[in-house]
Amino acid sequence: MAYAAGVDVGSTQTKAVVVDAARTIVGRALIDTGANVMRAAETAFRQALTDGGVPEEEVEFVVGTGYGRYKVTFGNTQITEISCHARGAVQLFPRTRTVLDMGGQDTKAIRVQPTGEIVDFCMNDKCAAGTGRFLGAAAVALDLPLSELGPTALRGERAVKISTTCTVFAESEVLSWLGKGKKIEDILLGVHESIAARSIGLLRRVGIEAEVTFTGGVTRNQAMVDTLNKRLGLTVNVSEESHYIGALGAALFALDRIVSARAPAPAKGAA
Amino acid sequence: MTAATFPEWRGLPLDDIVMRCRELVEDTDFPTVRRWRDGGGKVVGHFQVYFPEEIAHAAGLLPFKVRGAPVEPTQADSRFGSYLCSIIKTSLELALSGRVQLDLFVTHPICDAARNLAGVWGRNVSYPCRILYLPQNPNSGFAARYLRDEYDRVRRLCAELAERDVTDDDLHRSIAVFNENRALLRRLYALKRERPWLLPVDEGYVLMAVGGLVPREEHNDLLRTVLPLLEARTLPRRDQIRVILEGGFCEQPPLDLLRAIARSCYVVDDDLLIGLRWLMEDVPQAGDPLQALAESYIDRSAHSPVQHDLRKPKDRMLLERLDQADAQAAILMAAKMCEPGLEELVVHTRALDSRGIRYFVSEFEENMTSFDSLEIQLETFVENLVFD
Amino acid sequence: MTTEIQATDIVGRGNDTGARLFRQWFEGLTAAANEGRGAAYVFVMGSLCELLRVFDFPIVFPEINSLQAAVRRVAAEYLNEAENYGYSPDICGYVKADVATQLRGGAHPMGKIPKPAIAIATNACNTYIKWGEIWERMYGMPLFTLDIPGSRGAGLASPPGGEDFERDRRYVAAQLEELIALCERVSGRKFDIDRLREHLGWANELNQGWQRVLELNRSTPAVFNALSDGTIYLGVANGFRGAPEGAAFFNDLVREMAHKAERGIGTPVDEKWRLIFVGVPCYPIFRRFSELFSDWGGVFVNSTYLWFASGGANLGFHYDLQRPLDSLAEGVLLGVRDAMDSMFFQTKALVQMVDDYGADGVVFHPIKSCRTVSTGLADTRRALMAQRDIPSLFVESDMMDKRVVSEAQMKNRIDAFFEGLAARRHQAAATPV
Repeated sequence: MAYAAGVDVGSTQTKAVVVDAARTIVGRALIDTGANVMRAAETAFRQALTDGGVPEEEVEFVVGTGYGRYKVTFGNTQITEISCHARGAVQLFPRTRTVLDMGGQDTKAIRVQPTGEIVDFCMNDKCAAGTGRFLGAAAVALDLPLSELGPTALRGERAVKISTTCTVFAESEVLSWLGKGKKIEDILLGVHESIAARSIGLLRRVGIEAEVTFTGGVTRNQAMVDTLNKRLGLTVNVSEESHYIGALGAALFALDRIVSARAPAPAKGAA
Repeated sequence: MTAATFPEWRGLPLDDIVMRCRELVEDTDFPTVRRWRDGGGKVVGHFQVYFPEEIAHAAGLLPFKVRGAPVEPTQADSRFGSYLCSIIKTSLELALSGRVQLDLFVTHPICDAARNLAGVWGRNVSYPCRILYLPQNPNSGFAARYLRDEYDRVRRLCAELAERDVTDDDLHRSIAVFNENRALLRRLYALKRERPWLLPVDEGYVLMAVGGLVPREEHNDLLRTVLPLLEARTLPRRDQIRVILEGGFCEQPPLDLLRAIARSCYVVDDDLLIGLRWLMEDVPQAGDPLQALAESYIDRSAHSPVQHDLRKPKDRMLLERLDQADAQAAILMAAKMCEPGLEELVVHTRALDSRGIRYFVSEFEENMTSFDSLEIQLETFVENLVFD
Repeated sequence: MTTEIQATDIVGRGNDTGARLFRQWFEGLTAAANEGRGAAYVFVMGSLCELLRVFDFPIVFPEINSLQAAVRRVAAEYLNEAENYGYSPDICGYVKADVATQLRGGAHPMGKIPKPAIAIATNACNTYIKWGEIWERMYGMPLFTLDIPGSRGAGLASPPGGEDFERDRRYVAAQLEELIALCERVSGRKFDIDRLREHLGWANELNQGWQRVLELNRSTPAVFNALSDGTIYLGVANGFRGAPEGAAFFNDLVREMAHKAERGIGTPVDEKWRLIFVGVPCYPIFRRFSELFSDWGGVFVNSTYLWFASGGANLGFHYDLQRPLDSLAEGVLLGVRDAMDSMFFQTKALVQMVDDYGADGVVFHPIKSCRTVSTGLADTRRALMAQRDIPSLFVESDMMDKRVVSEAQMKNRIDAFFEGLAARRHQAAATPV
């Protein structure tokens, strides 16, 4: 029985996924990356193995992905998280044609073929506006836990227009609106609208084609999902496995390598 | 084309007229352009800074100044990369979103971003997008002749669009209309200089800006009506400092920003929408009208960061404007990411330093909505001047 | 006399000679600076070197000086100095690096740069003119703006011989007369039309050679890397335009490239992917930037950079020495106009390039500093994708400012691009014909 694994080392969190030959996720793990990236990769991998009850020797190929992909020293190869996210999203939602990945630090828009092959991609990693970080800044300004942001925003009725594009200034703009008597719910709704607008701007650059799959940590935020749906005029796919999509894609690429290594070499001259 | 595009102001008291003008200038659906088209007219959109509108006017077309707008460039954004001024994007947004429908779009390479407009627009809209190459070497002895030929090309474009000839008589008639407009605008700006308490900068702005949105005859009517009312206004004279405002030659500062500035000082001269006031004297009405327009452009025009002319070095021109307006200080603004504007700030600040004249420097963006920070800084600046 | 000996001599000769010529050029400039001789400051799009050499002006290309500062890793301090002086972080890095060079009395990693006695700027880039205004104020020297009317719209370049073209050409010709008068005043030398013929003749050889060298890269494998090697050749094409060394260099380069093409000798990279580069290279990490592609077996076979930054020399224009001034006007008009078209109306030319060079992908590299080149790239890419099913990459950085160059982020995108290319090729191979 062969298994394949993918380890997605992000700047804030590291995820690992183990799949079996039937492409089923048998084990997964999610930990904070912390300062020691190499150790985080190893730890996540081991935890995923334990989670799936899979002995390490039975994992035939490991693919590292994410910014820290070169630190997955026990891995067999590295593949960018752009390719892995595309692959993972299509696996979970086979009719995916566009992927929006909203991470803690960066946001990616990817358009894909039915095969998962990338047509075009666009990333915002210059600044944190349009990423989860913007939400974090708003949470700090309003002294709310992150988990409260979505539910609070959902109660908003008239979104306040957030004009600042810089996360650093988001805090002061949020406070300024509070000072002017705006309701917290409306301000938060405005923050969500602002992030959604920036993300959709990215999506437009690659071209929006249904179905759109939304991935990354922010998918747990229903207000963000709703805002995106409203602005896109469609319903985005969201999965419970959102966090793991990159690692899943990596694991599937790993599985590909196992399969092709086992396949007989094509006869020369075959069409 | 006989029905007025902007009748709303007629018969109203002065303050209401100004309010209507403000509403029109801020209306991002550009109703006057729509009404013109509904009346069967065609529209020539022209970008910043200057365009010889008389030529389009002579063909019976509406020259419409494309100057961005405070809108979200949701569609246009993906056509451009980063590090660009807002006006480039919002202008295209107006076209892509259908807020403005043109029949011809003409640009001049004022800067490196704008010179890409004909290419980008041309790939995204169905009507012709053309470049007018105004001479960047106006000091050449051949420049006037070259420009006259270039204007002839514009005439042919407009004639084709309008499906009629554009004769010299047509041009002379249009020049007369625009000469009157220029004279009225000079009078408006003279009022600002002489009795600035009667005309805050934001009000003067909307009264002028309407000109880029409506047929010039209507603008002339408006100004002819409004000027005596302004001159007869009784507003208290406050003890505010006199400043010039530089940096509004292309992307426009939001009206609310101008209002905020007006609260602190009297803007006695500025370069806001200077393209609409580019020719500083009457264009002669005798002889070859295209030659007259060309010579006026070369010899009797204003200055801006995007025109190079050995006779008009920017540092000297700034100080002249300051002196002629009898201003005590300057507000220097540059649109974010505006390369020529940002470069000119260095020239301007040094020129003012050499004369010991105080100035306030800031960047702006056409769709800014919060000015708290800017207003506080400006107030502080003004306070410091007063305490000197 | 055996070709075998020549083989080891000839391959790589262009790169070596190019480096040597550069050193020679800057040694000459340093000598001129030390002697207090004023130079002619010119730009790659419309340098008029053919004419300026008649007056024996030392030739300075501030754009090239600036990019050298980036390649030699001193850009950051130069940019900082200019920004402290008052220039915004958001304006062209080339301008700022030059301002700092001027503030340092011409100190530059390649030598000492003489002050300008005269500057010639075409309108091919508006920043040229603002830049020239800086020297006007700093030195009180004359800036000549040579106005070159470009194409009035996509596909509307007026053909030579037609009335529209002639109107534009006459304007250029009149300005050239005025330029000559200015050069005479500044240099104290009389204009010598026979010398102009000489320099035009050498420029002819250069133009022809450049055009041929670019053509030869249609070979598989490509005989030079348009990004890395191309920049060296481009430097010579500009710095030695109208000079005998420039003519000799390109004659030799054609021989070298033809030699390689005949024998299937490619670049040192094991060519797996043939790529087109659109934009200006990332000079702050120049070698590394190139490696990010070559590590995957990506070789750049052509680049729009080699068109516009050669001032249109890729057209191979041949000056008619019987009517030198008229022909110079025509050549400058065509060359600069074409340079502008290759930046603003480039879709058709790109499609042609993809087809002619058998490209597997196109890399668009817009940069913060240069709005002339970069503003239209996102839309050009859309237009290209609509016309041709060819993979392309859009990756932003800068040609001077390392602060906005993130190698890790670029590598991410570049790797994803190659992963896509590989998947595509794999897919195509798997699909039965």
